[in-house]
Amino acid sequence: MGNRTKTAVVIGAGPAGIEAALKIAQAGFRAILVEKEAELGGTLKQLCSSFPRWEDPQELLDSKILELQACPEVAIRKNTVVTAGTPNGNGYIVTLSDALNAQSDEVLADAIVLATGFELMDISIYGEYGYGVYPDVLNALEFEATLKEWKLGKGKPPKGVALFKCVGSRDRSKGNPYCSKICCMYTAKQAGMVKELFPEAKVYVFYMDYRAAGKEYEEFVREVIEKRHVRYVRGRPSKVLCEDGRLLVRAEDTLLGLPVEVLVDIVVLAPAVVPRPTTRRLAQMFGAKTDEYGFIEPDRFNPVQTAARTFFAGGCGFAVETPLAQQQGAAAAANVIALFRLK
Amino acid sequence: MPEARVIRPQERIPDIPEQVFLFRSCTGSIEYPGTESAVKETLKMLGVDAVMDPDQTCCSGYLLTCSAHKPEVSLAVTARNLAIVEKKELDTYTFCNGCFGYLSELAHILLHNPAYLDMANGVVGKLGYRYEGKTRIFHVQELWYRMKDSIARKVVRPLNGLRVAAHNGCHYVARQYGILDDGGYPTFHEEIFEILGAKPVFYKERQLCCGYSVGRGFTHKEEIVQPHLYKKFKSAEQAGVELITTVCPGCNVALDREQPNINKRYGEAFKIPVIDLSQLIALALGVPIHKLGFAANTTPVNNVLKRLGIGKETADG
Amino acid sequence: MRDPMNPDYRPMRLDEIDDSLQKEIREKCGVDVEMCMECGKCSGGCSNGHVFDYTPRKVVQLVKLNAEDTLINMDALWICLSCHLCSDRCPSGIDTPRILDYMREKAYRKGVTTRPKIRLFHELMLSSVQKSGRISELPLIFKYNWMSGQYMKDAILGLKLLLKGKLSFHSPGVKAKEDIRRMFSGSSAKRTWGEP
Repeated sequence: MGNRTKTAVVIGAGPAGIEAALKIAQAGFRAILVEKEAELGGTLKQLCSSFPRWEDPQELLDSKILELQACPEVAIRKNTVVTAGTPNGNGYIVTLSDALNAQSDEVLADAIVLATGFELMDISIYGEYGYGVYPDVLNALEFEATLKEWKLGKGKPPKGVALFKCVGSRDRSKGNPYCSKICCMYTAKQAGMVKELFPEAKVYVFYMDYRAAGKEYEEFVREVIEKRHVRYVRGRPSKVLCEDGRLLVRAEDTLLGLPVEVLVDIVVLAPAVVPRPTTRRLAQMFGAKTDEYGFIEPDRFNPVQTAARTFFAGGCGFAVETPLAQQQGAAAAANVIALFRLK
Repeated sequence: MPEARVIRPQERIPDIPEQVFLFRSCTGSIEYPGTESAVKETLKMLGVDAVMDPDQTCCSGYLLTCSAHKPEVSLAVTARNLAIVEKKELDTYTFCNGCFGYLSELAHILLHNPAYLDMANGVVGKLGYRYEGKTRIFHVQELWYRMKDSIARKVVRPLNGLRVAAHNGCHYVARQYGILDDGGYPTFHEEIFEILGAKPVFYKERQLCCGYSVGRGFTHKEEIVQPHLYKKFKSAEQAGVELITTVCPGCNVALDREQPNINKRYGEAFKIPVIDLSQLIALALGVPIHKLGFAANTTPVNNVLKRLGIGKETADG
Repeated sequence: MRDPMNPDYRPMRLDEIDDSLQKEIREKCGVDVEMCMECGKCSGGCSNGHVFDYTPRKVVQLVKLNAEDTLINMDALWICLSCHLCSDRCPSGIDTPRILDYMREKAYRKGVTTRPKIRLFHELMLSSVQKSGRISELPLIFKYNWMSGQYMKDAILGLKLLLKGKLSFHSPGVKAKEDIRRMFSGSSAKRTWGEP
């Protein structure tokens, strides 16, 4: 035990997991970065642009991958999932299963960092919006793919796009009561991107509020409204119908108090952010607690710790934007390092 | 987490009942006796025994919407009606959204407000009735959906791809909890259409309220109901709908009997027959036409029958 | 609400508004309007929202502002279809039709309405039930037409129905008329036809 370098298993290679693994390794310990997909990056890979500076997420990812390549103490395991974790003295024996080679192996972990990220709620229960019924009603991640296509000059240019916020969030009737934090910002980003690519398109964002609490966030949303001319309509839409092959949105402009309608080609819904089912399973494996929704429950005085040797970062704790995921990853790494240096 | 809004049919009706109490509807049984007949025939074909009682009265839905200042009367009437069913120890099945909605709502109020329950039982107690909340309230559309496999097996007159649109009506799908389908985009009627061999049509104003709303159809026909229905029919016509089904005699009256008035007022020529879902099912199950009472329909059903090859037996015959 | 043309006009003082109506609605109707997040999803899909003077969201806001007079005197109260789309789509599950039902009761007791014909119709229906235990259609129609000044409304239709046997002059009462009267007097509200 004395000569073996302490090792942390970081589960999930999104921005949070990558940051955690890098800092643990750069501090002189070992990190095993486990990623279920074939490529690193998690949800970041799917994004077309970022707020508040319209930067390309791929550049961040490329930079991190270079850092990882320069850091051999991070052992990257792609296409791999954690299938078992048994307590073993002051750590865990973690079973990793490689999907490509259909092999399993076991590693000794002195600490665990959960960085499994979030996913988007299944909003087909909102029958009034027609998700899953009309092909041009998309959720936010599907729309990021559309935006990427348009950037490459492919796909059909839209004449009108409507974006709805709070679909499944702030909803005590059908969805989740909480606010998913990031949707106001990424919806502004998506709306702004449509206008950048197609200045003649009519873009509407239907909102209850817009929450721009962060550095340069408010300026970002004002730019989208004032410089890029996205029309913000206050009113949660009531219904999406099909008319003449296009989509008709019915809502109330609550500021005026009158019902309004708008005919568009694409409707984008911002679903509630929910934890992945694997998060709960892994939490149980490693002694962590989850809340009623399945998000990791932190220790009362340490916001990135959840059990004696289990830490977490990023979307598995709650909805989070990229820089915050990185911050939390670094904080989790600091905790691991402190733990490892304790004799 | 919120109470389940949509529940599976097997949870709503766990066991197929052998005997049910069929609750008459004032509008249904009188304006469209064919609907009541169709329900009875279909229940017979599916092996369910329908029990009725002439002692029941109107569910008092009209009185409730029309007389919000005397809700106690409706509560007492509901207690009496449901007490009649409870004496027979059966579940209540209605074939009218209005009855279903009002009975459920009033029963809920009675059972969650002991003062009201005492008042109602006090009033009807003198007539020898007592309501305890034992009977459960359903709409026959729920039973049809629950038994759709049995219905599928018994279809003898498949509907030849007839383009049918569903009018769900408001007082079933707009209830928030414990219904069979999502009020936002219901499809369970369309599933039944496919089983019967018809082609379901989704048109733009499919879910628009009929506007009749228990009394407005009489007092405010021109102001409220007709503009509503004009939008609805225009949209249905554009989508090529040949037949509309309803599950509420109120909606049926609005959609069926107002068509000639709308045609005259707006210079249109809408000719879309409107029948009850139960009549459609009974038709497909081979119930003789003369038992389905299509003579009561203002907009003639003859063309549809001819299209289905039931030409010889006309609607009157 | 105050009259802006009056030179002494001052905007609404929110600190002078108490929450008595809100409490009343919470206790009597079981609806907590604080849960409303003013999103407007109700009004967006309201079947008759385009002809309402106050859309569902505004109705909830009026409750918050203790504006009982406005609520009792509004037109929307009488032309709401009770389709329940608003409460079905509300993310907070607010039962707006229940609020409207309750305000309708109050409007009745105060004798106010923007649609006197609807109120007349309701009262004639009720009094018919109270007198004979059933709704006698032809007397009801005659009385309604006469008292609302629409003497020839649906006259041709009525004649056709009469000739087809769908309407009749003879409308027997039920046998247990006394029991019906008892039901009406046993309920706390009394007959208001003719009594404002």
